[in-house]
Amino acid sequence: MLKVQEVRELIKLIDESSISDFTYESNGTKITLKKENGEVVTVSKPVNTQPVQEAPQQTAPVNTVEEKAEPKEEVKTEPKEEQPTSKVDYDHEIVSPMVGTFYASPSPDDDPYVQVGASVESNTVVCIVEAMKLFNEIEAEVKGEIVEVLVDNGELVEYGQPLFRVKKK
Amino acid sequence: MEETRKRLIDLLSNHHQPYISGQELSDKLQISRSAVWKHMNALKKEGYQIEGVTNKGYRIVTTPHELSETALRWDLKTDWLGQQLIYQEQVASTQIVAHDLAREGASHGTVVVAREQTKGRGRMRRYWESKDGLGLWFSSILRPSGVEPKRASQLTLVAAVAIADYFAKNNIDIKIKWPNDLFINGKKLAGILTEMQAEQDAVQYIILGIGINMNHQNQDLFESDRNKSTSLHLESGQMFNLNQVLKDLLVELEAKFDLFIDEGFSKIKQQWESYAYKLGEWVTVRTQEEWDAKVFGIDEDGALMVMDENDKIHHLYSAEILW
Repeated sequence: MLKVQEVRELIKLIDESSISDFTYESNGTKITLKKENGEVVTVSKPVNTQPVQEAPQQTAPVNTVEEKAEPKEEVKTEPKEEQPTSKVDYDHEIVSPMVGTFYASPSPDDDPYVQVGASVESNTVVCIVEAMKLFNEIEAEVKGEIVEVLVDNGELVEYGQPLFRVKKK
Repeated sequence: MEETRKRLIDLLSNHHQPYISGQELSDKLQISRSAVWKHMNALKKEGYQIEGVTNKGYRIVTTPHELSETALRWDLKTDWLGQQLIYQEQVASTQIVAHDLAREGASHGTVVVAREQTKGRGRMRRYWESKDGLGLWFSSILRPSGVEPKRASQLTLVAAVAIADYFAKNNIDIKIKWPNDLFINGKKLAGILTEMQAEQDAVQYIILGIGINMNHQNQDLFESDRNKSTSLHLESGQMFNLNQVLKDLLVELEAKFDLFIDEGFSKIKQQWESYAYKLGEWVTVRTQEEWDAKVFGIDEDGALMVMDENDKIHHLYSAEILW
């Protein structure tokens, strides 16, 4: 059986190559790597002593290693659906400069940095986004009033995801 | 013998008057004056500087393990890190001082170091035990050109590798618990707290705070923490010269930052993985729900890769891991 690190290495090499289909078989284990739409799809399955059967990748039962190009699956939370009824008047959105966790206050015991209705200057800290223990204090960057908070405390946010809406002054 | 010497150090450094006479020392320790003299010579050999003034007595000028501004500046072998050194006896937190200085325009590489922090900050301002002379607490102001905000979190990992490298060179086996805690024999020895002021596409400054437990004895740690944290002294039995350790660490950190800026994250990633805590072991990940996963490594961003029970790989940027 290939080690996970070896599979990882294979994926990387194939990803960088022009190969679109790769099969490796050894000691009863077969691994097939296919590149589809530029992404690497990995299917690995234990092979019985019977003649090798090419397994359709959709039905690959166990030992499936999925290495997706999209790096933030599972931990990511979809940006909230915009309320169709909300007719907030805004002309600026404060967006997240990185993937991470949104914190509305400096510590769990403190009040939020800002709430709806708060006036902000361009250098007012409005929240923290944390990734890998890097705490990024986000500044408003515009002078105005917070008219909508788009994410909840502790929520995971994406790069470029809007966090606040501001009506500039 | 050991006890007498400890009491002698106490008397020489904590006397209510600046100087204490040889006679008084002899009386208090209940040993002869020539025995006092022998003990003092032994202390001098250990690196204590003891000043003797006729008709006044003796006092300790510097001890070998305490931080001192002069000793820190002396022969600091870095090009840019810590050449601008802000030394303070006692601060609430070196992070706060560094933030203030950075806002006022302090230059790239400025280092704030304090003998004692009264409100040392950990993640979300958890208290970090930082009493006088026991450990190293310092914050570096970085203004890395060409590093986008989304890459800046890698700096935490860069610093962790630098610290681990330094201790590895001194035959101390350190593991890094993702992303930034340093462990020795399964207990926490050091932590890194990185804070940033950034706009969407430009870093204004980064404050990289590092705290390391150095010369703590058991009684210097909170009782509730004793099975979770430790100090280098407790693990190695040695006492460390804080000035020298900090200067050597700054050299190591500077070299790692330069490597990161010049060549990117890939080399750092390899080094980080060689120190990874619980690599290949099962941990519990707490995101929206709790689930078990095996530590697998880090990716090109520095995010933790874990494999769940269905052999699926997850990239974690921000998650509570129950190790």
